[in-house]
Amino acid sequence: MEEGNSIIYGLEHQTRALSPQYESDAIRFLIGTQSLKPQSNQVHVVELEEDTGALHTKVFKHDIGEIWHLRCSPHDVATLLTTHNAYDPNTSQCSMGVSIYKLPTVEVIPKDLDDLSAIQGRNAEDMELLITITPEKPEEEIRCAEWHPTDPARIGVVYETGVVVHDVTTGAAAGGSGVGKARVKFQGGKWNPHQGHCQFAVLQDMHIKCFDTRTDCSKAAWSIDNAHRQLARDLDFNPNRQFHLATAGDDAALNIWDYRNGKEPIFSRTDHSHWVWTVRYNTYHEQLLLTGSSDARALLTAAASVCRDQDDEGARLSQVLEDGVLQSYEQHEDSVYACEWSAAEPWTFASLSYDARLVLSRVPRHFKYKILL
Amino acid sequence: MAEQGENGENPLDIDGSNFNPDMYLECLMKCATLRQVMDKEAEIVTQSQFLQSEMQTLVYENYNKFISATETVRKMRSDFIIMQEEMNKLSENINKITTFSGQISESLKESGNNVSRLCGTRQLLDKLQFLFLLPSQLNKAILEGRYTDAVHDYTHAQRVLQKYGNQPSFQSIQTECSEIIYGLKKTLRDRLLSPETSASELAESVGLLRQLQETDSSLKEIFLNCAESRLDKHLQTLNSIVDSTDILEWVEKCNDTLLADLGIITSCYHEMFQEEDHTDIPEFADKIMLQVFHLFEEVAKRPENIGTEMLIRGLDKFFRKLQAMTEIISSDTMSNKAVDVVIQCINHKATIQYQSIQTQFKESLMKVRQSLASKGSETTDLKDILNSLQVYFMQKVQASLLDLMAFLQNTLSFGLKAWCAKAVADTCWKVISETMANLSDMVKKMACLQTSNNNIPFELLLILAKLCLEMQENGVTTLHSHLVKLLEEAAPGLTLENRDTNSVMVHLSTAAQAALDSEVVFIGQTAAQMLRVSVLARDWLRAPEPRGPRAVCRRVVETLASADSAASQLFPTSIKPSSDSSRRTIWSRAPSSFSPINRIFSERIEVFSPAGADRAALSNGALKVALKALVECVRLRTFGRHGLQQLQVDVHFLQQRLSCMGNDERLLNALLEDALASAQLRCVDPQLMEPSIVDIICERG
Repeated sequence: MEEGNSIIYGLEHQTRALSPQYESDAIRFLIGTQSLKPQSNQVHVVELEEDTGALHTKVFKHDIGEIWHLRCSPHDVATLLTTHNAYDPNTSQCSMGVSIYKLPTVEVIPKDLDDLSAIQGRNAEDMELLITITPEKPEEEIRCAEWHPTDPARIGVVYETGVVVHDVTTGAAAGGSGVGKARVKFQGGKWNPHQGHCQFAVLQDMHIKCFDTRTDCSKAAWSIDNAHRQLARDLDFNPNRQFHLATAGDDAALNIWDYRNGKEPIFSRTDHSHWVWTVRYNTYHEQLLLTGSSDARALLTAAASVCRDQDDEGARLSQVLEDGVLQSYEQHEDSVYACEWSAAEPWTFASLSYDARLVLSRVPRHFKYKILL
Repeated sequence: MAEQGENGENPLDIDGSNFNPDMYLECLMKCATLRQVMDKEAEIVTQSQFLQSEMQTLVYENYNKFISATETVRKMRSDFIIMQEEMNKLSENINKITTFSGQISESLKESGNNVSRLCGTRQLLDKLQFLFLLPSQLNKAILEGRYTDAVHDYTHAQRVLQKYGNQPSFQSIQTECSEIIYGLKKTLRDRLLSPETSASELAESVGLLRQLQETDSSLKEIFLNCAESRLDKHLQTLNSIVDSTDILEWVEKCNDTLLADLGIITSCYHEMFQEEDHTDIPEFADKIMLQVFHLFEEVAKRPENIGTEMLIRGLDKFFRKLQAMTEIISSDTMSNKAVDVVIQCINHKATIQYQSIQTQFKESLMKVRQSLASKGSETTDLKDILNSLQVYFMQKVQASLLDLMAFLQNTLSFGLKAWCAKAVADTCWKVISETMANLSDMVKKMACLQTSNNNIPFELLLILAKLCLEMQENGVTTLHSHLVKLLEEAAPGLTLENRDTNSVMVHLSTAAQAALDSEVVFIGQTAAQMLRVSVLARDWLRAPEPRGPRAVCRRVVETLASADSAASQLFPTSIKPSSDSSRRTIWSRAPSSFSPINRIFSERIEVFSPAGADRAALSNGALKVALKALVECVRLRTFGRHGLQQLQVDVHFLQQRLSCMGNDERLLNALLEDALASAQLRCVDPQLMEPSIVDIICERG
């Protein structure tokens, strides 16, 4: 993958769900398709061979329904979590659920000719379904599900009206139940990787609220009211700074907050020309942020000014860049609903648009050198 | 020959010094005829004879003269002998005279001595009498208050008293005098310290004390201290009346008391201590003046003194006095300060002007807001409001410019000064630019506020945007030329330096843009919000068969239409969208066409993009925001067959009603197609209705 050249991978169905594979040395992304046609949904595993720039894929069946959200387990390379929806023609109703799957094999790059032909034939393989969690009320909508940062047995599920922490072995609610309590619907949420891994932050209308899952979630541990002037769509915690988080919303803004003082964002940019659906911190270089928007663009933004002090060792983690958009990735032709950094390589990322196009790109080399040198 | 002739030494010239007879002869022989030679010979002979006789006469004459001179010398020798004898006699007589005069002076010497001794005694007696009378004289003078005379007498006597002070008779006088003088000094010092003495008395006292040989430094100190305390007192009174008098009264009072005294004190000081380096008097004066200026500023800034006429008259008086003062107190800082005071007054006036313009403008905006809030935009004529605002605004600025021109009246002491004209020109421009900057800032702030809360009616944003644009296009240049004209009248010859109208205009245009963007986003978001809520709240899966467009669609159309009509009042479009193609149906696209290939050929739609100052562009902007939201929300839902058909009806309705707004039908259709295509994708049973039925349903609804 040369400078400025992105690799495009196309799928057959609309897509919203994207996740990097953790705990692996390879640059792998998992994509979930979104199609209402029965038995047509798939999970694609895409691997970028770093040396050659070749793209290898493997396809798995996901017959349980269309995938709205997908997360790979941070604890186990082969395990993944999908939030899915299916239409039942008999009851003419949609029902959502969260399922945990295990991939039969992690390897994507074919080792021999048989493998190759199998992949070229795109014969979708089966995954092992470990458990499916369904909401108490069948028509309850599920927004997303997130792995607990440290405990492999727990997942946080964001329903329309609340957050529940489930035990993945039994599927039972293991605490932090706020279901039915929220009058304003939730949009999504995430675990706070700091603060002892017991805080779960959710997006509610224009606000961010964070609950302590050990309590009954009746009261927010902290909140950022009016984080956006319109709906807040996504949030991501700074992996290195425990009080910083980035949010994106329908006002086309990318805001960074210190949630100890949630009045004013410490960093705010409005570079997109429509709603911003996703925001991601680079795990290695917190000053790099990735945003995807329904203006069909993914933007690589530097927020160096809020990452300027010293890290724990007192040494400079990296050289800083100028604040602002470093690069606009315009290979998409429809709304970009998901973008993710690779978990294995700090400079590679993927963005996924609704028209089923995955674009793998890199941070431009001169910015990379500026950060490293 | 010619060369020789030129040299003036022609050897052929018979009278020349270089005459060469041979050459002459040769030449003659060569050039002349015989007859001519003969004639020449005769001529030469006659001439030489004549010369010879003349020479003889001269010799004789000289000889005669020589003989007579010899005789005269001989006669002189005998005369001198007689003279010698007479001279001898004369010297004898002179000797005699000398001896006689010596005898006479010797005999007169004694009486002369007596006379001079008598004169001396007489003088001494006079002095003694003066001395003996001195104490009583002094007392009398002091009693009568003639301190000057007393001091004068005393200084005369003092020398003598010092010389003979050790003699008993004088000693008593001296002691008495010293006592009296000590008393006098005390009175004078008392007078110095007493607050009632006027500045001139003060100066007099110090002068006397100085004559009485008080040490200069301490005296100076006392003088300065006293002066300072007096001036301080004046300052205090002036300070205390700041709140109770108008500027004219205050200036008069200040001129009469403080400045007058300061003038006297300063001039006295110069007279008395002029041999010293008078460095500290301007410093001291500066210190006082600084406080005076400070007080004056305070007075000038009081709200009662805002009236230009009064302010100017007061300022004029003050400045006149200050100018007079600068002749006494030759301090540069003070004259600079006086100029500064005037300039500050002008600046202050200007600041008040543009601040009042701003507050008044804000008030009128408030009224506009209220009237907009009470009435719908259909009933109010936005153009009227805009016009009245604009006229009001321009008039205010022009009035304040005219007001400032009062500082340039000929009759004023500073009116004709170049620096004053420059200051007025500067401040006038400042009034214009500040007003414009304030306007831009206000509009920007409102545009900013608009996005966070919905208190400001969008019509107002349109009006403000238009106002900013009008100002940018005409207002600034009009005011600029107006100012140039005024200055031309008031101070001919003063050129208004090239002012930076550009930055003002940039400010205005960015403000207008911000207001327009904000309006577009506001309208778009309002419609988008309606669509979003309605799409997300509805159960599309189990929706009943469509009977007409949903109510929210009507509301969206109404919202967009009201904004469009408001915009049309202020931002007329020249090109009307053609209506014939607007009825084109848009459900021709099959779900399979929803592919990247199709999108490659369509342009990317920037949703939140800067809005143009044009009705169509504004409507386009709002449409984009609203419909893009519809597309995005549809994608989040799952549709049943009837749900899809309902959306089809909605989309058709929107397409019908919205195509008259904006001018980019391609954009409208693309977004609506996108919405319908997205709904088809999200439908579990994607079957669209017959277009004719949709038409009927739409019309029925």
